[in-house]
Amino acid sequence: MQIPLEELTITPGSACQGCGAALAARLAFKAIGPNAIRHRVPCCPDSTTAHPSASSVFESGGAMLTGTWRGLKAIGRTDVQVVGFFGDGGTYDIGLQSLSAAAERNENIWVITKDNEAYMNTGNQRSGATPIFARTSTTPVGSVTKGKQMRKKQIAKIFAAHGIPYLATASVGYPEDLIAKINYGKTVKGFKMLIIQSPCPVGWRYDGSKTIEMARLGVQTGIWPLYEIIDGEKLKLNYKPRELKPVTEYLKPQARFRHLTDDNISLIQEETAKEWETLLKSDELGRVLL
Amino acid sequence: MVGNKATATAVKLARVQVASAFPVTPQTTITEYLSDMVANGELDAEFVNVEGELSSQVVVQAASRVGARTFVCTSGPGQLYMHHPMHQTSDNRLPVVMATVHRGNKGMMPDHTDLMSQLWTGWMQFYVEHNQEALDTCLMAYKIAEDERVRLPLVFGYDGYVLSYTAEPVEIPDQDEVDDWLPPYKAMPSILPDEVLPENLGGGSGGGDPQERWKKHHEAIVNAKDVIIEVNESYGKTFGHSYGNGLIEEYRTEDAEAVLVAMGSLTGTARAAIDRLQDDGLNVGLVKLKCFLPFPKEDFQKIGKKVGAIGMIDRNVCLGHGGAAYTQIRNAIYDLEERPSVLEFYAGMGGKEVRVDDVYKVGEKTLKAAKSGGVSTSTEWV
Repeated sequence: MQIPLEELTITPGSACQGCGAALAARLAFKAIGPNAIRHRVPCCPDSTTAHPSASSVFESGGAMLTGTWRGLKAIGRTDVQVVGFFGDGGTYDIGLQSLSAAAERNENIWVITKDNEAYMNTGNQRSGATPIFARTSTTPVGSVTKGKQMRKKQIAKIFAAHGIPYLATASVGYPEDLIAKINYGKTVKGFKMLIIQSPCPVGWRYDGSKTIEMARLGVQTGIWPLYEIIDGEKLKLNYKPRELKPVTEYLKPQARFRHLTDDNISLIQEETAKEWETLLKSDELGRVLL
Repeated sequence: MVGNKATATAVKLARVQVASAFPVTPQTTITEYLSDMVANGELDAEFVNVEGELSSQVVVQAASRVGARTFVCTSGPGQLYMHHPMHQTSDNRLPVVMATVHRGNKGMMPDHTDLMSQLWTGWMQFYVEHNQEALDTCLMAYKIAEDERVRLPLVFGYDGYVLSYTAEPVEIPDQDEVDDWLPPYKAMPSILPDEVLPENLGGGSGGGDPQERWKKHHEAIVNAKDVIIEVNESYGKTFGHSYGNGLIEEYRTEDAEAVLVAMGSLTGTARAAIDRLQDDGLNVGLVKLKCFLPFPKEDFQKIGKKVGAIGMIDRNVCLGHGGAAYTQIRNAIYDLEERPSVLEFYAGMGGKEVRVDDVYKVGEKTLKAAKSGGVSTSTEWV
C-alpha cells in the first residue's frame, strides 16, 4: 500500500511532542484528501489540517456535520466530503446525543474520533473513554480511591447498534490499516465512523518518543483491538496474533497506571481476554456478538 | 390562515433550502406543514428532523455557512435549550431566519420570556402582531439578514395560540414576485474547498481581537436599522403591506398627549382600547414596538419629545430588573432635556387574558401621568 505523500497538516500545529492525535489527523486526512470540509469541536490538539474548517459548540458535532452535508446537497456540491475530527469528549460524552441522531438518520458524513482517553484539552480530566483504574486529574490516586472506578464506555458497540454502514477502530501504530479503512469508507454512502486510539504522552505519562510503541502494545495486548463492522452487523477482526501479549506490557510503561495492584491488573487481564474471545467468535461467525 | 401556516407559507415562498426543527407546542404545526410541503414536492428543501432544538440551530448554522438559505423555529423551552449555539450563529455572521412561537416559562401559554432570554445572543428580534405580519416579516427577514451590510441572523416572534392556532385572512404574494424581490443567497466568505481563501484554511478561533469582534457585531446590529427601514418600504411598494417605518408603527398618535407602547398580539387589543379612549375624548395614542433589536432609540426620542407620558405594556419581566422594553424606553428618553413619564405595566404574562377594558385603564393612568407632569416610576401588574 502507498500512503499518500501529500501533507495536509498545519505546521507548526498546536500539538505536543509525540502527540498521537496529531498523527491520527495526519494519517486520516492524507487518505481523505483535500476535497473536504473538516469540522471540529473543542478537542486537543485544536489545530490539525489545512482544510476549510469551522467549529461549533462542543455538544453539536453530529448536527454540524449534518447541516454541512444537507447544505452541500441543497447547493449541488455533493462532491465535497464532510468530516468531523473530534475527541473522545465530543464523541463519547457531551457530543453523543447529536452524533447518535446523525447516525440514526444515516447522514452521509465521516466521524473520525481520536480517542486519547481523557479530556486532554483542559489538562487530563477523566472522560467516558478513560479506562478503569487510570489516574487522571479528576480520578486521582487518593487514600480512599485510586484512579477511575468505572469501565471505559464501549462506544464502538453503541454506534454499531445504530446499524451504520461503516464503523472501524484503528490505531496510530498501524497506519496502513488506518488508511485502508478510510479508503474503504470513502466508497460507502452514509454514516462512517473511525475511532482511532491516540496515545497522549502528557496525560498517559510516558516518554513522547514511545507513542508508536504504546499504540502497538495497545493492539497487541488486546486492549485496543482493530476491527470493522459493516451495517452494524458483519464484524471482521483486522489484527489476529496467535497469542496476545500480557496487558502488563501496555500498562507498566504508563505512569497513569503506576498505582495498579496485582488484583487490578488481573481484572484488566481477565476482561481483556474475555472481550478478545468474543471478538474471535464474532470474527468467525462474521457477525457482532455483544 | 393560522399563524403557523402563514409562517410555513413564507418559508416556501422564500425558497428555503435547509430547514430544521424539533416539535414543541405551540410551534409544532410549522414542522408538520413544512414536512408536508417537502413530501409533496411543493418545497424543494432538506427538512432535517433532529433530536432537539440545540441540534436544529446547529444544523441551520452549518447549512447557512456552506451557502444554503435556512429556516428554524421553536417555542419557550426549546428556545432556552437552543441558547448556546445562537451565540455562534450570530458571531459567525450567518443570516439564519428563525420563528419563535412564544410560550412562557411558567406554563404553556405565551409571554415573551423565551425570546427576551436571548437578548445577548446578537440576533435581530422582531415581534409581530398578526398572521399577515408573520408571513410578511418572514420574507422581509431574509432580505434584511442576507443584505451584505447586515449579515446577521434574525428571529421574529408571535404569540402562541393567540396567533399560532388562530385563523385570520392572509394575502399570499405571488411566487414570481417574491423571486424577483428576494434574490438567491450566497455565503461569504465561502467555505467550499475550491473557493476558500488560503488564509481561512484550517479554521481558527475566529481570529483577531475579540473585543474588536464584539464592537463590529454591535455596530452591525445597530446599523441594520437603515436596512430594516429600506426593506420595509420596498416590501410595501412591491406587495402592498408595510409596518410603520419597519421598526415601530404609530397608531392615532397625532396630537396625542400620551402614548401606550405594545408588542406582539397585544397591539391588536390596544388598538381597540385606543379607539375607545379617543372616542371618549381621551387623547392617548399607540406605538407598536416591532423591532426590539436593534432598539429604535431615535424613534422613542422623537415620541418622547411630543408626549407627556409613555405607558409601556411589557409581556415579559427580567426578574429583579424590570420589563425589557420599559427599561430600554427609559434609557432612550434619558438624553432628552424634557423627559416624559414612563410607566410600566406588566400584562399577558403566561397567557393571562388582557381585555380591551384593561388597556383602556392603562391608557387613563398614562394620560393622568402626562397631565400631572414629572417622571413617574409607577409599576403595575395588569
